Amino acid sequence: MLRYALNRLLLSVPTLILVSAAVFLLMRLVPGDPVVLMLGDQADPQQAADMRAAMGLDRSVFVQYGLWLLHAVSGDLGRSTTNDLPVLPLVLSRFQVTATIVFAAVAIAAVVAIPLGTVAAWRQNTKADFAIVSGATLLLSIPSFWLGLLMLLFFGLKLGWVPVVGYVSFSEDAFKAALYIVLPVATLTLIEIGILTRMARAAAIDVLRLEYVAHARAKGLRESRVLRRHVLPNAFAPTLTLIGIVLGNLLGGVAVIETVFTLPGLGRLLVDGIYARDYPVVQGCMLFIATIYVVVNLLVDLAYPFFDPRVTAS
Amino acid sequence: MRAALGRTVFLGCLWAAQPALAQTPGDYTIRASLNSDIRGTQPGGNRDANTDVVMMHVLEGLVAYREDTSVGPMLAESWSLSEDGRTYTFKLRQGVTFHNGATMTAADVVWSWRRYLNPATQWRCLPDLDGRGLSKVVSVEAVDAQTVAVTLDKPSAIFLSIIARADCGQTAILHPDSVGADGQWREPIGTGPYRIGEWKRGQSIELTRFDRYASRQGEMDGFTGGKVAYAARLRFVVIPDASAARAALLGNSVDVLTDVPMAEATDLRTRAGVTLLHTPTMGVTAFLLQTRDPVLRDPRIRQAFALSLDVRQIVEGTMEGMAQQNPSIVPIRSRWHDEAQSQRPARNVAAARRLLAEAGYRGQPIRMQVNRRYANTYDAAVAAQAMAEEAGLKIELEVLDWATQLDRYTRGDYQMQSFIYSARLDPSLSYEMIAGPKETQPRKVWDNPAAQALIQRSMQVTGDAERQAILAELFKMFSQDVPMVILYNQPDFLAGRDAIQGLRAWPSGHTRLWNVWVR
Amino acid sequence: MPRIRLRANALIGSILVGATLLLAAASIVWTPRNPLAVALRQRLKPPSAEFWLGTDEVGRDVFSRIMTGAGTSVMVAGLAVLAAVLLGSLLGLVAGFLRGWVDRVLMGINDALLAFPGILLALGLMAVIGASQWGIILALGLAYAPTVARVVRGAVLSIREREFVEASRSIGNSEGYTMWRHVMPNTASPLIVLATSMFGWAILAESALSFLGLGVPPPAPTWGNMLAAARPYMESAIWLSLAPGLCIALTLLGVNLLGDALRDRLDPRSAER
Repeated sequence: MLRYALNRLLLSVPTLILVSAAVFLLMRLVPGDPVVLMLGDQADPQQAADMRAAMGLDRSVFVQYGLWLLHAVSGDLGRSTTNDLPVLPLVLSRFQVTATIVFAAVAIAAVVAIPLGTVAAWRQNTKADFAIVSGATLLLSIPSFWLGLLMLLFFGLKLGWVPVVGYVSFSEDAFKAALYIVLPVATLTLIEIGILTRMARAAAIDVLRLEYVAHARAKGLRESRVLRRHVLPNAFAPTLTLIGIVLGNLLGGVAVIETVFTLPGLGRLLVDGIYARDYPVVQGCMLFIATIYVVVNLLVDLAYPFFDPRVTAS
Repeated sequence: MRAALGRTVFLGCLWAAQPALAQTPGDYTIRASLNSDIRGTQPGGNRDANTDVVMMHVLEGLVAYREDTSVGPMLAESWSLSEDGRTYTFKLRQGVTFHNGATMTAADVVWSWRRYLNPATQWRCLPDLDGRGLSKVVSVEAVDAQTVAVTLDKPSAIFLSIIARADCGQTAILHPDSVGADGQWREPIGTGPYRIGEWKRGQSIELTRFDRYASRQGEMDGFTGGKVAYAARLRFVVIPDASAARAALLGNSVDVLTDVPMAEATDLRTRAGVTLLHTPTMGVTAFLLQTRDPVLRDPRIRQAFALSLDVRQIVEGTMEGMAQQNPSIVPIRSRWHDEAQSQRPARNVAAARRLLAEAGYRGQPIRMQVNRRYANTYDAAVAAQAMAEEAGLKIELEVLDWATQLDRYTRGDYQMQSFIYSARLDPSLSYEMIAGPKETQPRKVWDNPAAQALIQRSMQVTGDAERQAILAELFKMFSQDVPMVILYNQPDFLAGRDAIQGLRAWPSGHTRLWNVWVR
Repeated sequence: MPRIRLRANALIGSILVGATLLLAAASIVWTPRNPLAVALRQRLKPPSAEFWLGTDEVGRDVFSRIMTGAGTSVMVAGLAVLAAVLLGSLLGLVAGFLRGWVDRVLMGINDALLAFPGILLALGLMAVIGASQWGIILALGLAYAPTVARVVRGAVLSIREREFVEASRSIGNSEGYTMWRHVMPNTASPLIVLATSMFGWAILAESALSFLGLGVPPPAPTWGNMLAAARPYMESAIWLSLAPGLCIALTLLGVNLLGDALRDRLDPRSAER
């Protein structure tokens, strides 16, 4: 088990290096650099050249990448060109915000979606199934930022129930913090419910076909008991894998939600970084996101056997 | 709107005349929005417009811009210019105190200035003062404890305009403890009415009142004049998204919005409980035409483009009466802008078609680079595209992100751009911003040697009448060459909740929260 | 077993998708007004008999833009999916068929690409390529290709061991021929199912990219860039964002329902996977 985990981690190293190289190259290909932005419409060529030299941007891309990689290995991801903050602590602090929202949303969504999906699967091809699936499909069909804005408009401005912008960390004031993240979490939750319900339903359909369910039914167990004891727990395992994928995607992909609700999260840091040509920040974020993706997938794989009887059996 | 502005000004006068009605500083916080976090605290270092807004509450230089964009004394009591026009002698104000309690002397001024002039500081405005630009500062000396002399290698009409610039950090006078023993920047120990408090990166920066602030006498005047820190704290909250910022104002999460985009401004104008202020800034919104482009090289095609546009309608339609068309690079609020510089030929589609036919234009598409960051430049481009189409000029829009567009601008790599220039507070600087040899400075838009010679002269002449005549000549040459079509000076929009009093918009566009109080 | 859901899905899905395609097709020959005509004096007019869905921030007719936008959105999403399918299938087929180090290298690259959130990869690519219709098609195509590659490779790996492939080899057909003739057609069903979902993602991604500032450039309207442009006016001119927002949501609903029906038909055993 441990060896398997270590092996997997080792195997992901080339992937991470590849990711970082691709990001590095991509950012250098994008027109414009931090100096252009800093000097704006009055860029004196000499001054611009001096600044580039001071930032090390005058060296070849390969040398720059080599140096960056060397530092990255020792945990130094450089400093932001926008505000001179060290990148690693910056990324970590922004990640806290994103993680809070994403984990809260996915957890709530899972709690709602898994039973819903299971019921739909159990009542497959009935009106109830149809209603659940259509509802879920509609939810995942709505552009997330639009849903967010509508919520902001309605709950924030029209009703005035929650503050519309800003962020307070949980360590500062837990109640206030909850108030600030309720809308973004709700938006994400709604969309994730759409995705997860469909996934859970598919997983449950597979489980329902398995023999031991038929067996349980044959034993004369009541349907609700079959569902609770056999289907629900077993449908959980495949859904877990998918939750893993969703989490990985979300951690990077919530940029849009973070922009709508002005949350200082990782996604916004990255998008702002791209616009500001803040090379160290973009590189650091991407490396971090890729690492998270790898780790989450690994954890899901490792957790899988604990939930899926079929895997342990074989 | 205008009534609100008037009321504020009126109250300001009352305060000066009748101390009995004066507001008293209170123990409260004014919350203002910023669309991005400040970049740093080093004057003229890593900065942007938002950084300047915040730091102008903390830092002060010898001279500063006044409300009418002329330069007036700030930490200097007065100054005099030597006979040969090369030496400025600044008399310092008595009793000015730094944030650390030390009293400002000539030695601090000399220290600050020499630090800026040291290339290692990477002061943004060094190229303007080390000979690369017009003139070079050859010495900065303390004459006595209250007097400093700055000597240039040759006379310059724009020296004070440069050192007063907000993006140069107003060439702020700092206490030497602002810098560590190792020469590294630590924190700004300045003389402004506020000092830096808690800075939560990416979220907010708080300024706290400096209780021992030595204010100038008289009324608030641009970055100078009397300054009273009524609010004990100013909190600048970072809200990158304009719609969210507007929502925050309406939802009472902030008190003041700085730098409101057009779309939000139109909405806020109609809201109860909120006052929208606006005034033309010294920045310029324009279409740039690349005179080296194979198609646009022909002046007739450029003229045809200009003639195909109904600029008044573009400005009216996209700015809803909150901006005024201006064909000159000299800002409309500049005292050097006269009526002649407001004249532009009326729209004439037939004439445009004729010119295009003469030039042999056969519908080659011309790409105009635009961005969504400055929505009004984008809207103007969409409108212009439709108008040019009527004259048979085919324009395609290419949306870029701002950094890419800026990069293309710096390289001169475009056919057309819908562009926005930051403020220049001196007409010579306005022309210098766009004119120059493209060979060595590809970012320059207008490459006309005769014009460049005139611009150089405008920077050295000291007589007002002579300077005005040069500017008139330049405008004529510019209108013939059509290297760009200037639309208007973008307004600065500033919005505050009705409880916030004393807020004023001004041509520099930097929001000031001193002399602002809560009713 | 009753088949209510399947039939209802197929029916509703077809109606919604058909309506979109009809709008798109109709816009080629007719729109009520010129969707690009700017009329600055007619800004932000609410829906009326004259402007069925009102006008936008520069006075263009929203209904005409919705119609034209249907065409652009469908085309952009469709071509992006096509690009992803072509590129991804090629990668997946080669990797799955040749196996060995080729497979490992290709899948290594693939995994690296998968570790990027698709929308951010597209954002980066858009910044390099520049925002144009072709740029976004290419960017989304590249962003989705790894997913296709993974699915195709999986399908190939399972198919290549089946009897008919072995049979083809044993009668002396070349690897290339075998791949073309026997393996590829059998990857079709999972691909069609995936392509349907990707079509939906592409429409959503285009709107998100527009929102973040780098979508399909004007004047060509897409639902995504209309929605993004409407955003400052959400309170004062709600029709501006309701129209494209609902169009996106309903079309996506249609696409997904149709996808479900397709999946059930093509691959009844693993319904919904």
